[in-house]
Amino acid sequence: MSTNNIVEEIRKNISLFQKETEKEETGKVIEVGDGIARLSGLSKCQASEMLEFGSGEETTYGLALNLEEETVGCVLLGEYRHIKEGDTVKRTNRILSVPVGDELVGRVVNPLGQAIDGGKEIKTGKFAPIEKIAPGVMTREPVSQPLQTGIKAIDALIPVGRGQRELIIGDRQTGKTAVAIDAIINQKGKDIICVYVAVGQKESKVARIVAKLKEAGAMEYTIVVVAGASQPAAMSYIAPYSGVAMAEYFMDKGKDVLCVYDDLTKQAWAYREISLLLRRPPGREAYPGDVFYLHSRLLERSCRRNKESGGGSITALPIIETQAGDISAYIPTNVISITDGQIFLETDLFYKGIRPALNVGVSVSRVGGAAQIKPMKKVAGKLKLAMAQFREMEAFAQFSSDLDAETKNQIDLGQRLAEVLKQPQYEPVSVSQQVAVIYAVSNGFASSVAVKDMKEWEVGLHAFLEKSKGSLLEKIEAGEWDEKIEKELKEACGQYKK
Amino acid sequence: MKKQSNLQFAKALYQVTKDLPKDKLPEVIRQFFVILQKYNKLKKIDYIVEEFERYSKKQSGIKTIEIETVVKLDGKIKNKIEKVFGEDSEITEKINKEMLGGIKIKVDDTVYDASLKTQLNKLKQFLQA
Repeated sequence: MSTNNIVEEIRKNISLFQKETEKEETGKVIEVGDGIARLSGLSKCQASEMLEFGSGEETTYGLALNLEEETVGCVLLGEYRHIKEGDTVKRTNRILSVPVGDELVGRVVNPLGQAIDGGKEIKTGKFAPIEKIAPGVMTREPVSQPLQTGIKAIDALIPVGRGQRELIIGDRQTGKTAVAIDAIINQKGKDIICVYVAVGQKESKVARIVAKLKEAGAMEYTIVVVAGASQPAAMSYIAPYSGVAMAEYFMDKGKDVLCVYDDLTKQAWAYREISLLLRRPPGREAYPGDVFYLHSRLLERSCRRNKESGGGSITALPIIETQAGDISAYIPTNVISITDGQIFLETDLFYKGIRPALNVGVSVSRVGGAAQIKPMKKVAGKLKLAMAQFREMEAFAQFSSDLDAETKNQIDLGQRLAEVLKQPQYEPVSVSQQVAVIYAVSNGFASSVAVKDMKEWEVGLHAFLEKSKGSLLEKIEAGEWDEKIEKELKEACGQYKK
Repeated sequence: MKKQSNLQFAKALYQVTKDLPKDKLPEVIRQFFVILQKYNKLKKIDYIVEEFERYSKKQSGIKTIEIETVVKLDGKIKNKIEKVFGEDSEITEKINKEMLGGIKIKVDDTVYDASLKTQLNKLKQFLQA
């Protein structure tokens, strides 16, 4: 291409440009502080519209939340020390939106969609409003496909289906984030996009998680949205909505998405802070009246859409932190009632060495059972029963010498099952292996193995099956299950025992 | 009780003084200051006066026009602007070298921006897209 051609093209482009006088509506800052600002003027301002403070390098955006008779109350999304009383504020005529697109995958971004991983600027050319009405009844269908978390205890006992909202709840330091991260790592090669939203987390924790995801090769299909603890409360408030807006882009393309909100307690705190500063009336525990709606409108956006509406799903794993195991506090009860079940993690179990520290009795999945694959359904039924009986008789375990044979058998089986449900972090197990090991243990193939040797036994079983029964595992993975397969599995377990 | 805003005081003052004969004015103003003191608003007097000016202009249909240019405007253009936005208007002029050229007119809360700088910025965005 010669120089003339380039000049010609530039001329052509410039001639296409329409000169236009820009019409702007402005207002004035009445007061500013604590991350919020009160403005006068702006009589045509829309709810949740972006407002522009300052210009050039020092541009800060605000989000209009309170539209009152004379004033507009807004939260500031970023640095606000340069804003003074009397400054001019411009309307942008844009509802708060974030960039969406394939370019975001593998990146770490802030809630406004700007890269914070040191990589190059993200230009997607497409924006989506962060607040959107959830899909309606006619576009949905029941959960029918499993979302494998790779965690034996969860996939067998509290299964999660695609489009489900399964709450992960527990005290601090019980491994809530670990469960969610394992679930993300296990989606490798399953054509599922993951969105991890960190709300009010320590930057060090986020850095560690991102490093771990990279190491496991999980960043290739994951978007990390971070609103750090040092950022304004407004960022924590909008982060989950930005995350789900980015997820919806992929759902609209018919893909399955897994969305983790870590954690919604901190989002509720941020919203409480904003609401109190904006002088909205406080209610129970000083949360504003619409704190329920804060979470319900977010979680309703996870869904499984039917074929006519393009398919695709968003599975949500919201996380809630409780204080001293109190699941009847305000925010936990709210979110429990919104979600389709909960995974309850307990400190006691955690320190007993049962990790994931899942309380199988309290944890439920209201819809996931329909999504389990057939072989898992078959073996999990037996497992549930055995575990329930074991829990009842666990207390007698210490008097094992005085017990009748049947009770002793049940306790032995229970102990081995409990042992096999333990799982180290970052080591997801494929569903066929889960089926095989649970089948083997609940059918007594491990009864001669000492409880402390179960771990070793399990590793050996996986290695044996992988080596000699690859085709059988493949069939189970595909969800096939009949008498023939069961017989084959039984024989394989028998062979391994020898 | 909810805090009183500057605008509320300004509005109150406007309503009281609107149809008042001239000789009563000093008394009203004195009373107004007493009230201001009662509400601890004396130090906000500048803002209240500002709000009062803006409010009274708005009530009587006077527009505030602020014109920003790079060079000083001649009378002809100013007359034209006045004709477009209404005869009863108060015009202030401002020289702003940063905008490179063109004109920026602010009528009350609306800004009409035809400055060269904004146009160039828009051209930049257009070419980048």
